[in-house]
Amino acid sequence: MTSAALDRVFRDASGRIVAALASRFRDLDLAEDSFADACARALEAWSHEGTPRDAAAWLYRTAYRCAVDTLRRRRTEHRFAPELQRHSSEEQPMPDEWTPIPDERLRLIFVCCHPAVAPDARAALTLRLVCGVSTREIARAFLLAEPTLAQRLIRAKHKIAQAGVSFEVPGPEAWPERLDAVLSTIEIAYGRAHEDAAGSGPHFNYAAEMLEVTRVLAELLPREAETAAMAAIVRFAEARRPARVDAHGMMVPLADQDPAAWDALLIIEARSYLERAISLQSCAPRVLQAGIHAAWCARRSLDDPPPWSEILALYDRLLTVRDDAIVRLNRAVALAEVRGVDAALAQIAALVDQPLADFLPYHAVRADLLCRAGRRDEARTAYDAALALVTTSAERLWLKRQRAALPE
Amino acid sequence: MQYMLLIYEDERIYGPDRESPAARARRAQHIAYSRELGATRLAGSGLKDSTAATTIRTSAGQQTIHDGPFAESREQLGGYYLIDAPDLDAAIAIARKVPLSQNGAVEIRPLLVPG
Repeated sequence: MTSAALDRVFRDASGRIVAALASRFRDLDLAEDSFADACARALEAWSHEGTPRDAAAWLYRTAYRCAVDTLRRRRTEHRFAPELQRHSSEEQPMPDEWTPIPDERLRLIFVCCHPAVAPDARAALTLRLVCGVSTREIARAFLLAEPTLAQRLIRAKHKIAQAGVSFEVPGPEAWPERLDAVLSTIEIAYGRAHEDAAGSGPHFNYAAEMLEVTRVLAELLPREAETAAMAAIVRFAEARRPARVDAHGMMVPLADQDPAAWDALLIIEARSYLERAISLQSCAPRVLQAGIHAAWCARRSLDDPPPWSEILALYDRLLTVRDDAIVRLNRAVALAEVRGVDAALAQIAALVDQPLADFLPYHAVRADLLCRAGRRDEARTAYDAALALVTTSAERLWLKRQRAALPE
Repeated sequence: MQYMLLIYEDERIYGPDRESPAARARRAQHIAYSRELGATRLAGSGLKDSTAATTIRTSAGQQTIHDGPFAESREQLGGYYLIDAPDLDAAIAIARKVPLSQNGAVEIRPLLVPG
């Protein structure tokens, strides 16, 4: 097996195994380290004996044994340390070839996204532990130096261990808040993957991981409208990826994308998630957001007029359940098409007291509207503000072209 | 695990001698809350006003005594509970019910020594 294929095997097995070990031993570091040990042993053993038939099961058994060995060693070192007596792992039989790997990923997702964990660490921790994405890849996607991100992960794991964060799936009284923390974390993680239209390099792999983690979440929580909606949103957005960049590597705005280039299979999958979400709770915020994606993805070709009126109506409904600056900004884009640029600019002007100075889409949307309103100097300033914030090449090219196209 | 719940509020709403109607009402709530906690509550008390606080500050090994609390802030440490809870979620559920005015905070800190 090539080393790339081995990496794939390790990554695919990682979430389930780390989750199963974490849930069994209530220790994230132990789970992660034991899995890494098992992978190192696999490299050695499989090069002689070949890859076993069920590689994941082999890794699980080996990692489990490594964990138990570590705990035994610790206990000998601290014979009288009472807190270590709790891990009486030997009472439980070691997993053998026929033991299925228990699926504890839901527990692990709730641990990683616990409100007591720093918000900026939750998405990274979920990607690391549940999706098996390497620290280096996460650091690149979040535009952080690798040691900075590694520190953040260490701090988060330390907090989880020290504060006694539970490994149980939360009960009904805490459910809405905790599920929302999970879904917001996934939005942040996916937002990182989505920002870069080209999806080249650092984000590519983990956009695929987001498809997987939303699938798992929707499967494990089949009665929650917003988990199904989240799975739909990620699929609709990923389906459009092939059309988001032109031959010159420049971003293509949604209304100019050729629907023929969209991934039809992903759209079908997204629709079935959305239908399930609507049947559960049609007016939840994320269900309405998925509906907006669905309206776009219903377009068959560039000859069909863009569905602006439908989009605006959906944003109006969304605003009644989630009134924030980002929803208002997106609504203004549709408003400009339906009721004119001045109405949209008036809406955006009302957002001045919001903390949007560092929010790239705010400046980009504003620049476009000002340009269309014939306010060229203001448009130029807004494009400059957007260009100062942009980090990805496809978006930079597009903004530069828009700015250059402004009449003098 | 054992957790300390540290209660922070703007103490001015209770008056300096803690005998205002607001202070009496809150005290009654704490008594009822303590009763509700039963064996979960290991210890707890309100604290006198931060104007009664004295701080010993050690700086480069030198101790000096100051009038007043360790840190000047809008909200002051006004009381604490020591509780026994299986995990952080249980501690959060208990801390959410701590009687508190409209504005304030409860900090949840696990004890260093596992209980």
